[in-house]
Amino acid sequence: MQKLDKFLNLKTKHGTVVRVVREHYLRDDIPCHNKLCPQTCSNGPDCIPANVSHILLPDCFVTRTFAEIFELPEFRGILFLQTALHSALHEGNRRIYNRLLAKVHDGKSGCAVVANEFCRDIYDLPEAGEKLSEWQFRMVHRSAEWYVNHLEQQKAVIILTENNEHFEEYKEKTKNVFVLLMKDYLERFWPELRQAQDIYESLVVALESETQHGSANSKDYTDHLSSDILQAGIKSGIYIEGSLRVNKYHAREEAFVQRKGVDSKDNAHDSDVLVSGMKHRNRAIHGDVVVVQLLPQNQWKGKITNLKHQSGSEEDGDSNKSSSQMPSGRVVGIVQRGWRDYVASFPEDQEMIQLAMRGGKVLMIPWDTDSKDTSWNSSGSSLKDHRVIIRIDSWPLDSQYPNGHFVKTLGPIGTLETELQCLLVENTISVGNFSERQLQEMPVNTDDNPWTIDDAEVGKRRDLRETHLVFSIDPKGCEDVDDTLSVRQLKKGYIELGVHIADVSHFVKTKSLTDLEARSRSTTVYLADRRFDMLPAILSSDLCSLIGGVDRYAVSVIWKLKPDTYEVEKVWYGRTIISSAYKMFYEAAQMIHDEEEVGEEEIPELTGFGEEEKRKRLADLKWSVDKLIDIASHLKARRVHEGAVQLEGVEVKVELNEQQEIENLVPKQTLEIHETIAECMIFANHWVARKISEVFPSCALLRHHPLPRQEQFADLVMSARAKNFEIDTSSNKALAESLDQCIDQEDPVYNKILRSLATKAMSNALYFSTGSLSEDQYFHYGLGLDLYTHFTSPIRRYADIIVHRLLMAAISDEPDEDLLGNIELKQLCTHINSRHRSAQNAQKDSQELFQALFFRNKDPEEDPSCTVDAVVRGLRSNGVLVFIPRYGINGAAFLQDKSGLVLTFVDDDHTEWVPGSIERSEYAVTVKTASSEWTYRLFEHITVRITVQPSRVHSETLKFSVVKKSPFKADLEGKFQSSGQGLRTDIVKEVTTADKSKSSSEMREKVVVMGKDVSELQKLYHQTKEKDSLYTFLQNLHELNLSDDR
Amino acid sequence: MAGLELLSDQGFRLDGRRPHELRKIQCKMGVFKQADGSAYIEQGNTKALATVYGPHEVTGSRSKIEHDKVLINCQYSMATFSTGERRSRSKGDRKSQEMQLHLKKTFEAAILTQLYPRSQIDIYVQILQADGGNYSACVNAATLAIIDAGIPMKDFVCASTAGFVSDTPIVDISYLEESQGGPELVVALLPKSDQIVEFQVNSRLHLDNFENVLDMAVKGCKDIHAVLSRAVKENVSELASHMNKT
Repeated sequence: MQKLDKFLNLKTKHGTVVRVVREHYLRDDIPCHNKLCPQTCSNGPDCIPANVSHILLPDCFVTRTFAEIFELPEFRGILFLQTALHSALHEGNRRIYNRLLAKVHDGKSGCAVVANEFCRDIYDLPEAGEKLSEWQFRMVHRSAEWYVNHLEQQKAVIILTENNEHFEEYKEKTKNVFVLLMKDYLERFWPELRQAQDIYESLVVALESETQHGSANSKDYTDHLSSDILQAGIKSGIYIEGSLRVNKYHAREEAFVQRKGVDSKDNAHDSDVLVSGMKHRNRAIHGDVVVVQLLPQNQWKGKITNLKHQSGSEEDGDSNKSSSQMPSGRVVGIVQRGWRDYVASFPEDQEMIQLAMRGGKVLMIPWDTDSKDTSWNSSGSSLKDHRVIIRIDSWPLDSQYPNGHFVKTLGPIGTLETELQCLLVENTISVGNFSERQLQEMPVNTDDNPWTIDDAEVGKRRDLRETHLVFSIDPKGCEDVDDTLSVRQLKKGYIELGVHIADVSHFVKTKSLTDLEARSRSTTVYLADRRFDMLPAILSSDLCSLIGGVDRYAVSVIWKLKPDTYEVEKVWYGRTIISSAYKMFYEAAQMIHDEEEVGEEEIPELTGFGEEEKRKRLADLKWSVDKLIDIASHLKARRVHEGAVQLEGVEVKVELNEQQEIENLVPKQTLEIHETIAECMIFANHWVARKISEVFPSCALLRHHPLPRQEQFADLVMSARAKNFEIDTSSNKALAESLDQCIDQEDPVYNKILRSLATKAMSNALYFSTGSLSEDQYFHYGLGLDLYTHFTSPIRRYADIIVHRLLMAAISDEPDEDLLGNIELKQLCTHINSRHRSAQNAQKDSQELFQALFFRNKDPEEDPSCTVDAVVRGLRSNGVLVFIPRYGINGAAFLQDKSGLVLTFVDDDHTEWVPGSIERSEYAVTVKTASSEWTYRLFEHITVRITVQPSRVHSETLKFSVVKKSPFKADLEGKFQSSGQGLRTDIVKEVTTADKSKSSSEMREKVVVMGKDVSELQKLYHQTKEKDSLYTFLQNLHELNLSDDR
Repeated sequence: MAGLELLSDQGFRLDGRRPHELRKIQCKMGVFKQADGSAYIEQGNTKALATVYGPHEVTGSRSKIEHDKVLINCQYSMATFSTGERRSRSKGDRKSQEMQLHLKKTFEAAILTQLYPRSQIDIYVQILQADGGNYSACVNAATLAIIDAGIPMKDFVCASTAGFVSDTPIVDISYLEESQGGPELVVALLPKSDQIVEFQVNSRLHLDNFENVLDMAVKGCKDIHAVLSRAVKENVSELASHMNKT
């Protein structure tokens, strides 16, 4: 037993004063977390490195107030005290606390926490009459003294404070312990770091204004209730908790609260709560978790159904035509702020700036339309034409706008670089270069010093270099090849299928700097013209990439399949060495399969062989590719039988020329071979998920799909009814089948639109830890699988690296100490999920940005690419929503402008705005004028012209105007003939189940079914193996990976 | 106080202990001369006093007499000043009755009951200050008191608790840790033979973690045994030196 001393802490609780006695043990073995430590401290991974010039010790107030400054990567060697962190937690908030801890755990930040209150040499009881802040500072100072002595005076410690009294009292008390005011410190040590000083200044101003506001009386908003009352209210059902989503198109009027933890059982109480107007929203911002109170039923309002004109700033709320009433409420409290960094810019004209400048503040207009205007404290007119990052500090009761402070500038408005930076910031993606120390961890591969495989590794791995024909199929220009395949004929007709994935976990060791960096990035971000890698280039495009003709480490899953039925007989997982024989493009593989003439151009690996040899090799390859396609079609059939649903979405590829200018926008094409590869990857993912969930029932990382809500399907069902089709949303299989039925022979776009509507209704697929959910929620409904994970792209996704580690631990005998526990994994999953969503949004935004750029330089009247065919996809009371198949764009077209004029056609190609009215029925919108009448039916083809809506503060958007009420012929024919049969194939999506009441029991049955003999079942259900109906909608792997989180 | 972190990032608990560390134990045997055996124990801020009378004739109704073993009678009570708010407690409330039953079962399993047929042993335990782990403090105090009374037992009975916070088992949980609602395991052990005489689990605990938490509790019991046996040895040697003097 150790020596322990006992102290008593006297505390009072709220309400009645109670004397609570708590023990407090003081100990000698507090680790100092410093690399220089001369004693034998048992220091963990988060240590202060030896190369910092001094150690920073912020006091309690500085820690909680200026946490943001310390978050800057330039600040290293900060020692956070337990005392200070506690005060950040209790006097500040948990967010500050968590962010500081994140900084400490960053690994590269060189910061540490010292549990000073448990240290025998530091802790001292508060003296009688001593104030809390005085005691805290005394503790800080004692800690500094201890630290300097502990390190035997090797490093100086600087205490940062904002309190002048403390500064005077302690400034020269001890050798090597310096007390500095925050301001002096920044000026003396970081004169170059403008950013830190800017943040400091704006924080100080924000702080001052906060204290001023305490006395103000006039109030724009009502107080938020305290958390105790909110909790009690939520429990008793008076209040509803949920996250606030602001309607992008009516940012000032409408917001919805999505209830937390909803299930579709109880439909009456299931719908979202409408929060209408800024007053009821009560200072909440998009993304906050709020508590709302329902209003009396006679104050309920309906959704706004007309389109908002971009430039119309103030609209009269009463005149809006609204749909049927829905539950409305007002925000009474905010549980958690979802504040992040916002991109904003100054108002356009000088007058506005003058107007907005009140009390040293400037009114900024955010880039994002669903946030709020922010007032910012500063005086910098030099930034007038720049986009800047703003952080919100507070939103006082009596202010119309939240208060924020300036963080940094992104660059002048309108340039591509700035706009891309905006996208990244708005989606909270931070990408920088990899640090030197991270790159030092990487193996070397240069011409002088080529990287070779290690002989020791050869012994440990299964060698497939000689025995297997391994090849990869990827899109053109792909550098990071993370998956390869092999097919082999075994004895007695058995087939061996192998999926070989780059062994990233071999190079990226747990808790290495690269690992930490990859974890924080979580995914490679693909923008339209560039990408931000998750791993350093040496790994992602060289050593991990399974390029043709060189030896590479891989992790393989190899199945032995029964002849004909392709049922799994045996499965083997393990580390291997492979050498990919062919690195093919999708197009080349498809040509081989279609028995077209293939030359050296398509398959460069064949160069240098004789004719005979070439033919033989090609025949081998063709056999493999054909077999692969055959197997994949069987796997797919099996999955569709289990209820997999295919969904549509149109993805547009931006074609750039050498000068990085946009040449054209092309919808992506899908070939049969895309689907084959995707299917093999799904198969591998599924089997890996099986293995790891079996071995680690409480801490395996899987991927599932929360159930969609029935009412989300309303749009889809309505749209189908417009053409007299019925959609059955009761289960995933029913949905898939009814979607297949909805085919309009004359209009192939129809089915596409329905599928994209179905996609919208789905919730996102998510990563989760098996310990955090019950087993009946593991099901992957869209793919029709009982278990699913991500395993096949470790170069691009961090989740796959974790799964690789889990798989390796699962097949090895000795337990891996570094595996994550359930709680850590759960946190990690949340992190990865949010990173993925951001990456997806950023990708989508960048597509839109490039679309705008594409059309910006075109003359809408002249250029043929601006006039296109469109389908009416939705109806509003003053316009229609259109879908443009040519570019895969969704947008709105107005039929009535702000002044109430409606759109009519004078001649065939001339339009005019005249007085009139608009009537909306269930399936059509009718424009009525004195002389004529025009009806727009749902799914009617019209011709629209695309123009760019210029905008200074927001991103540029596309504007659509109707030019003709008839299909645009040239476009129609061109498009549909070229895409031909590939029409329905575009994107398959993971979908969730519908009817939850039945699902749990059903699912369990299905889980059993999956494990059973599938061919038997196929017979039982007369399931044909024909490809006809099922074959066409397999999908491109990359599209799947990129789109399934949307 | 929803924001309490029972186990900090640094691996410290709220009171400065690491997960595997017990609270400070202080004990004294033979605190009352008029009883046959008595002991006082402090485990951190949980303080318990135990007195043992017997074996003696069965008091009260003769129907309680057991012909093949001794009758064990346990009384448990909490002092009015034992918690933050002063509260007088009725003698036979549910909580203390339950505790009495548990204590009775525990000691029936540990005392060599067959040696004293038709007689009775009384064990009285009082909690003077409650700060989590009342049962274990009672068992440990009663063990010392029984040893002080010279009643033969199979072994020491040592009791300890264990909880489970953020994937880590923690031993000897205090009232603060108890009241956060996590799982709690209570184990009474015969340390030499590793036999469990009493075992309770409150709140849900996943089976996968069960073993780890149990191991932690058992280790806690053994640590307590080390402390108790040292206390007993010291007490005996003190008595011996006392006897030599006289």
